[in-house]
Amino acid sequence: MKNNLLFFLLIVLVLLLSACSDKKERSDYPNKPISIIVPFAAGGGTDAVGRVLAETLKEELNQDVVVVNKDGGSGALGMNEGLNAKADGYTLTMVTREVVTLPLLGTAPFKTEDFRYISNVNYDPAVFVVSADSEINTIEDLLNTMKENPGKLKFGASAVPNTYSSQFALATDVEFQTIPYQGAAPAITEILSGGVDFGLYSPGEVKAHIEGGNLKALAVMAEDRFSGFHDVPTLIEKGINVTSGTYRGIAVPPDTPDEIVNTLEKALKKAVNSDKFVDFMNSSFLGIDYRGPEEFKEMIDNDINNLTPIFKNQ
Amino acid sequence: MVIEGFRAILSIDVIFIIFAGVLLGIVVGSLPGLTATMTIALLLPFSFGLSPVSSIALMVSVFIGGMYGGSVTAILLSIPGTPAAAATVLDGYPLRKQGKIGKAISTATIASFSGGIVSVTCLIFFSPILADFALKFSAAEFFALAVFGLSIIASVSGNSPIKGLIAACLGLLIAMVGMDPLTAYPRFTFGTTQLMGGFSLIPALIGLFGVAEILGSIVEKNNIEEKIKVKLDNTIITLREGKGLIGTILRSSFIGTFIGAIPGAGADIAAFVSYNEAKRWSKNKDEFGKGNLKGVAAPEAGNNGVTGGTMIPLLTLGIPGDAAAAVLLGAFLIHGLQPGPKLFMDNGELVYGIFAAMIVANIFMLVLGLSTIKVFAKVLQTDTKILMPIILVLTTVGAFAINNSMFDVYVMLGFGVLGYFMRKMDIPTSPIVLAIILGPMAEENFRRAAMLNEKSLSFLYDRPITVIFLLLAIITVSSSYMKYIKDRKK
Repeated sequence: MKNNLLFFLLIVLVLLLSACSDKKERSDYPNKPISIIVPFAAGGGTDAVGRVLAETLKEELNQDVVVVNKDGGSGALGMNEGLNAKADGYTLTMVTREVVTLPLLGTAPFKTEDFRYISNVNYDPAVFVVSADSEINTIEDLLNTMKENPGKLKFGASAVPNTYSSQFALATDVEFQTIPYQGAAPAITEILSGGVDFGLYSPGEVKAHIEGGNLKALAVMAEDRFSGFHDVPTLIEKGINVTSGTYRGIAVPPDTPDEIVNTLEKALKKAVNSDKFVDFMNSSFLGIDYRGPEEFKEMIDNDINNLTPIFKNQ
Repeated sequence: MVIEGFRAILSIDVIFIIFAGVLLGIVVGSLPGLTATMTIALLLPFSFGLSPVSSIALMVSVFIGGMYGGSVTAILLSIPGTPAAAATVLDGYPLRKQGKIGKAISTATIASFSGGIVSVTCLIFFSPILADFALKFSAAEFFALAVFGLSIIASVSGNSPIKGLIAACLGLLIAMVGMDPLTAYPRFTFGTTQLMGGFSLIPALIGLFGVAEILGSIVEKNNIEEKIKVKLDNTIITLREGKGLIGTILRSSFIGTFIGAIPGAGADIAAFVSYNEAKRWSKNKDEFGKGNLKGVAAPEAGNNGVTGGTMIPLLTLGIPGDAAAAVLLGAFLIHGLQPGPKLFMDNGELVYGIFAAMIVANIFMLVLGLSTIKVFAKVLQTDTKILMPIILVLTTVGAFAINNSMFDVYVMLGFGVLGYFMRKMDIPTSPIVLAIILGPMAEENFRRAAMLNEKSLSFLYDRPITVIFLLLAIITVSSSYMKYIKDRKK
């Protein structure tokens, strides 16, 4: 009897010890639900990308992935929280272009370089649009009108400061008035009613209006034509060497172990290529743009270089 | 056409989806901090697998249920589940204090139902006209609408205009915290990231109404025991009482539809404007704020009128008027549908299916609302000593859930203390809510209108809609003041 009990206790002890050593190795990551901090409110574009990514990552990691919305300070609040989370790979942050602009503006409590960037998943180039009733029909028309009447045309900005228009103005040396709005929807409404002359928005924000015949697309600020707008030229094609757009990717706190970063990177790559993700992004007119850690970091560094002169001038 | 639409949704699974959507909407709407918008955004990835009609029917049902659900907690606990139900507290809670919860909730339910049906009818028959009108709204018009909304403070201030004004100024001051809407420059943030987004409306609302009430009930122990003794009455409104409300409900439903059709002006504004107009046209203005059924019917018909109104710019122009509509637009895009004039031609069956689904959702809302009154009465019979802590926990969770932030919980508690002292000093709290909602709207659009108008202020008098709203604002303020002078002479 006694021997049996001893044997039983030994087994329990061995099991307990093996369980402990397992935890130390981290080889079982992830063994509990992961959360993705989305630094904007539910219902926006960043939220949509975050949610579909969470859905697809869940299948790759065999763990629940939940979206946690943390709105505030144009994204500063959520990104700061993600940066200061435990570096154990269970709190990921959906970073957006604001990760570059906010530190440049001086309204973020962190530096762009603080994050460890894992993968970029989405890139939305800015699209020039005018009302369907406008006399402006091409990007050349727009440029000529601006040159003939400096500072007269009105631009409906979906956010301030507006990086798209500032980059465009810097590259072409034209002048126009910026009228700021809270988001693309009210700005587009103003274009439709004739209050402002042109706008620069993401493809998903204008697609319905272009198809519906309310807006005309003049140009895309991207390297290549956008897959949803095959007949809309890029600015580069027209000899204006500037690209601008917004991007969204996943970053983690800087001391996250390499092993976890590798696991996440592989899972993200698979998730972005999954049918579910591709279908959702295409039907929502969100551009898919996968970049691994090095490429993502390179993109961020380039963006800092592009935007620094703009914010210095302001 | 509408019959065709009914045919599109007449299958057991679509009807079930609508029922589930309305129920879910009522639940999240009644819980302060959980919003219909949040729920719709959560449902978006799941709707991928559903057919276009059922996925949009589901979201619209949640939207409709959520709008109604806010009123339940507003009446029973004086905690508006959504900002749109803040105006319902004004007369709904006094009714509950008198024990007339059956009357209050049945009025809210019937008014919400009528608001919903009237707005869907307008959506079916007058969409193009209302959409044209909505497009006339530029910064100048929004500014004037916001000023008109702020003028309503005069009519919800009770007996003392000065106290109302104090609350309004406090509210405007609170609304100024955060990033400047046009330049993103941080104001009154003391260098903190937390305050960059300003004080969130919902935690402030839960604090001012809910927490203040709980604090009050702790301090005024004796009153509580009296309160329990009030017999709760489940009986719903009589046919005669209902008849007396028809005018108010119809007027408010049209106001709601109208305001809902303007992108950027939402249910909260519609509810307060409806309340104001109900009071303006009533013979017994003094009864408002003391438990007048019209004071419940007006804001509820108004905010549910918005449900159909919001769909007008969305379906006809592809313009989402608020965050919930923006998610709906996303749902359309996912299913390869482009809202706009072509949608009616190419996908007529779908459009009319949505209309039919909205009508069915409103019917479910009516049935669910009327049949759960007894359940609510049971909940309220719970001992206050047990009920109040539960409510405090729920409000705390709600304040946290809105943005997953502890800071919002502190904001809620802070506003609770503020609300408690305001009650002590007999200063009305709803002006603060109006000021937080409308202050930024007025500021932002005034500056934007001036920018659009080459820095001239002529937009104040040369645009007809702007002039009408500004005149309405002047009339509202001056008539309230005249009444005050008259009452004082008595």
